[in-house]
Amino acid sequence: MNRSLQIRAGLTAVILLFSLYGLLPTFKALSISSADREAAKENPERMAEISDIDAAAIKRGLDLKGGMYLVLEVDQEGMNTSEAEDALLRVKEILYNRVDKFGVSEPEITTFGSSRIVVKLPGLQDPERAKALLGQTARLEFRMVRPDTEIQPVLEKLDRLYLGAAVPEQDVEDSAPVEDSAAAANDDVASAEGDSAAVAGADTAANPFGELDDMMGSDESLAGADEAYLKDHPFSGLLVVQPGILGSTPLFVQEDNVDRVQAMIEDPRTARKLRNVEFQLEMEPMDFGQGQMLRPLYLIDIKPILTGDQLTDALSSANNERPGLWQVNFSLNNRGARTFAKVTGENVGRFLAISLDGRISSAPVIQGKIPSGSGSISGNFTNAEASDLALLLRAGALPTDVYIAEERTVGPSLGSDSIRMGINAAIYGSLMVIIFILVYYRMSGVVTVIALVSNIIILMAVLAQFDLVLTLPGIAGIILTVGMAVDANVLINERIREELRKDKTIRASVQSGYANATRTIIDANVTTLIAGGILLWFGTGPIKGFAVTLSIGILTSMFTALVMTRVIMEFMTRKQGRKKMSI
Amino acid sequence: MEFFRDPKINFVGAMKVAFTLSAILVIVSAATMLIHKGPRLSIDFTGGSVLQVKMDPAPTVGEIRTALEGQGYQGVQVTEFGSADEFLITFPTPDEVLAAAEEGDEKAGNTGVSTVSGEKTLDAAQILLSDLRVGLSGTEIELRREESVGPKIGGELRTAAINSVVAALFLIVLYITVRFVFRYGVAAIMALVHDVTLTLGIFSLLEFEISLQIIAAFLTIIGYSLNDTIVVFDRIRENMKLRRKESYREVINRSINECLSRTMLTSLTTFFVAATLYFLGGPVIHDFAFALCFGVIVGTYSSMFIASPILVWWSERRLSDKKRTATDM
Repeated sequence: MNRSLQIRAGLTAVILLFSLYGLLPTFKALSISSADREAAKENPERMAEISDIDAAAIKRGLDLKGGMYLVLEVDQEGMNTSEAEDALLRVKEILYNRVDKFGVSEPEITTFGSSRIVVKLPGLQDPERAKALLGQTARLEFRMVRPDTEIQPVLEKLDRLYLGAAVPEQDVEDSAPVEDSAAAANDDVASAEGDSAAVAGADTAANPFGELDDMMGSDESLAGADEAYLKDHPFSGLLVVQPGILGSTPLFVQEDNVDRVQAMIEDPRTARKLRNVEFQLEMEPMDFGQGQMLRPLYLIDIKPILTGDQLTDALSSANNERPGLWQVNFSLNNRGARTFAKVTGENVGRFLAISLDGRISSAPVIQGKIPSGSGSISGNFTNAEASDLALLLRAGALPTDVYIAEERTVGPSLGSDSIRMGINAAIYGSLMVIIFILVYYRMSGVVTVIALVSNIIILMAVLAQFDLVLTLPGIAGIILTVGMAVDANVLINERIREELRKDKTIRASVQSGYANATRTIIDANVTTLIAGGILLWFGTGPIKGFAVTLSIGILTSMFTALVMTRVIMEFMTRKQGRKKMSI
Repeated sequence: MEFFRDPKINFVGAMKVAFTLSAILVIVSAATMLIHKGPRLSIDFTGGSVLQVKMDPAPTVGEIRTALEGQGYQGVQVTEFGSADEFLITFPTPDEVLAAAEEGDEKAGNTGVSTVSGEKTLDAAQILLSDLRVGLSGTEIELRREESVGPKIGGELRTAAINSVVAALFLIVLYITVRFVFRYGVAAIMALVHDVTLTLGIFSLLEFEISLQIIAAFLTIIGYSLNDTIVVFDRIRENMKLRRKESYREVINRSINECLSRTMLTSLTTFFVAATLYFLGGPVIHDFAFALCFGVIVGTYSSMFIASPILVWWSERRLSDKKRTATDM
C-alpha cells in the first residue's frame, strides 16, 4: 500500500469515526422515550442530563417538533432612521423578555430587515396565548380624570366636529354606499346579517378587521340611540349619561356602540380638537341588570403622571373584594413612588385612571397621599389573564405597535407524524437505491453502498455539529441527496467499465476512471450547488432546511465518491495482475 | 448487470421529432396556464390562511362546506388532505384588507388576516375555527397546522421566488459559459425553461398550488436537469478533442450514447427516492415530491433530446464543421 493511499485511508476513517461520535447524542436522544422524559421532570439531575443530550443532538425544525413561527412587523410610522432602528431593537429585547418569562424552551428571536422580527417558539402548547402576549403593547399609564364639569363643552366640540364632517373614515349620512360596502364584505368571508349591515359596513371602513367582528357573531345595531338626536349629535348621541353611579364619570357607552365610539375617539381629528385631554373607554363593560351592558367612558389628561417604565415589579394575586377575580399588584421605583406620593397628596378626592393600551382598567378615587409607591390594577381578570398582565408589565411595554404579518403554527401531533413519514420514506427510498446498486454493480456496488451510508452519516453529523435544523423538506433533501449521491458513483463506475472495455488493466482502469470522472462530477455538482445556494439565500424556515441538507449532501457526496470510494477501490485492486473485477 | 452495452441510438436524428413534441408540450402547458389564469398560487404568495384540521368523527367535505356556509363564510376552500379525517381549509385575505393595503394602509398590508390590536386578538383563522366548531357540534376538531400570510409578505415572497428562479438561471448560464462556451449555456437554459414550463403546465392542469415548497422543488429540478445536461456536455467536449475526424453531429450523438447508461441509472435512482417520498412522505410533502418525480422524467428527456441536439441545430445553422474545433476548446 503506497503512502498516499495510507494517508487518504486514515483521513477517511477519522472523518467517519468523528461523524459517528458526533451523532451519538442524537441516537441517545432518540432512545429516550417520552415516558422517560416525563419521569425526569421529577429529577433535576436527570433533567439536566437529558437537556445536555438534546442540545448536542440534531435540532428538529418547528414543522417536525411542533411550534410557532411568527413574523412581526414593527410600526415605525413617523420615526426617523435611528429612531426606527432603536424601536426595532427595543421591541426585540422586550419580546425576548416576555417569551423568556412565558416559559418556552429555546425561543429564537431575531430581527429581519429594518422593520421585522422573527419569533420561533418550538414546542408551544397555546399559540393563541402566545400571540396575545407577543402582540400586546402593554403600555401602562396613570392619568388624572378630568372633573365632570369639563365634560359638556368637550362633548359639544366633538358633536360640532363630526356634524357635517364625515364621521371617522366613513359616511354615515349617505347610507347607501355604506350598505354597498357591507354587501361587498359579505361576498367574502364575512357574515354580517342584513339588519346590521349598515354599521358593519361602517365598521369595515374604519377598521380593516371590522368584518371579523361579524365573524365573531357580535350583533351590531344602533340599539338605544334615538336616530334624530344622533343626527344632530353624532358623538354625544352615542353616549348614555348616568351620573352618580360611579363618581369617576357620568358617561357610558352601550356595548353595541363601543366600536363606533372607539373609532371616533381614536380619530386624529379628535386629538387635534381636544389637545390636552382625551376620552378612553373602560376595558370591561358593567352589568346594569336586565342584560344591559354599559361601558364607562372617561375624559382624562393626555399627559400621564406616571408610566409603566417606572414599575419595579408586578405580581398577580386574588382580588379580595371580588371573589373569583384576580388583580395585578405593582410597585414603583423611587422616582415613581415620589411622583406618585406628590400627585396623590395634591389631588385628594379626585379620580386617577389606570390606563392599559388605551383602555381604562379602573379609576379609583384618591383617598389620601400614597407614599408607599405600590398599588394594584383590577379588572375582570381571570388568574391566567392577571398573571399574563403581570408578566407583560414586568417585561416592559413595547415602544410601538407590532403586527403579526406571517404566522405558521404546527401542532405537536402533526410534527411527530411528519417525522415518522419522513424517516419511513428515507429508509425505504435508500433501501430501493441500495438494492438496485448492489444488483447492478455487485462488488463495486458494495463500495457504492458504503459510500452512500457514510454520506448520510457524515451529513447528519454536520447537521448535529453545526446546530443546523432538520425540517421535513430537510429530510426530503437528504433523501434526494441519496438519489443524487449515487450519481457520482455511477459516473465513476461507468467510466471504469469503459476503460476496462478498452482492455486496460484493472488498476489502470480504476485510476483513469476516477481521473476522468472527477471533472464531470465537479462540473455537474456545482450547478446543483448554485440552486441550493439560491434557496439558502431566498428560503425561509423549512425551505432553508431543504437547501441546507441538499447543499451539504452534495458536498459530502463529493467527498465520499471521490475520496472514500477511491481509497476502497484502489485498496481492492492493489494487487498487480488481477484479471477480473466485479463491476 | 448492464442496461446498455455500447448503444447506438440516433438521438440527434430524432431532433425534429423531439423539438416538435417539446414545442407542442410547451404550447399546451402555456395554454393550460392561460386557461387556468396562470398556475394557482398558494397563500404563501397571495396572502390568506390555511388550516389543517383532523376531525373525529370525520364529516365529508360537503358537510364542512355546508357548516361554513351556514355561518356565512364564502370563498372558503375545503379539501381532503392525506386521509379521510383530515382536511385543508383555505381562505384568502379578506378583500377589504387587500383594498386597504392597496390604498397604502400600512397596518392592513402588514397584518392581513391575523393581528393583535389592543387587548383583542383578531385572528381570522381562529375565528373561522371556532365558528366551525359551532357549525359542526359533536365533532372533535384538532388544529394540526395553521399558516397565515399577510398581503405584504405574500407579495414579497412572490418577488423573492421569481427573483430566485431568475437568479438561478442567470448564474447557471454564467457558470456554463465560463466552463464551456456561451452556446452551451443557451442550450442548457432552453432545456431548463422547457422543464420548468412543463412542470408549471402540469401543476396548472392538475390544479396543484404553487407554494414556497414547490419553488424549492423547481430549483431542485433546475439543478438536477442541469446535472444531466452537463455530464453530456462534458463528454461532448472530451470527444471533440479525441475524435476530430467525426462531424459535429456524430460527436454529439456518440456522447449522448456514451452517457446513456449513467443518465438512466441516475434518473432511476433519483426517481425511486422521489417516488418513495411521494408515496410515503405524507400529505405535507406530497406536491413537492410530485414535482420532483415529474421533474426527473422531464429533465432526463430534455438533457438527451433537447439540450445537446440544440447544439447540433445551432452549429449546422451558423457554424461550419471546420470552425468547431476553434470555438469549442
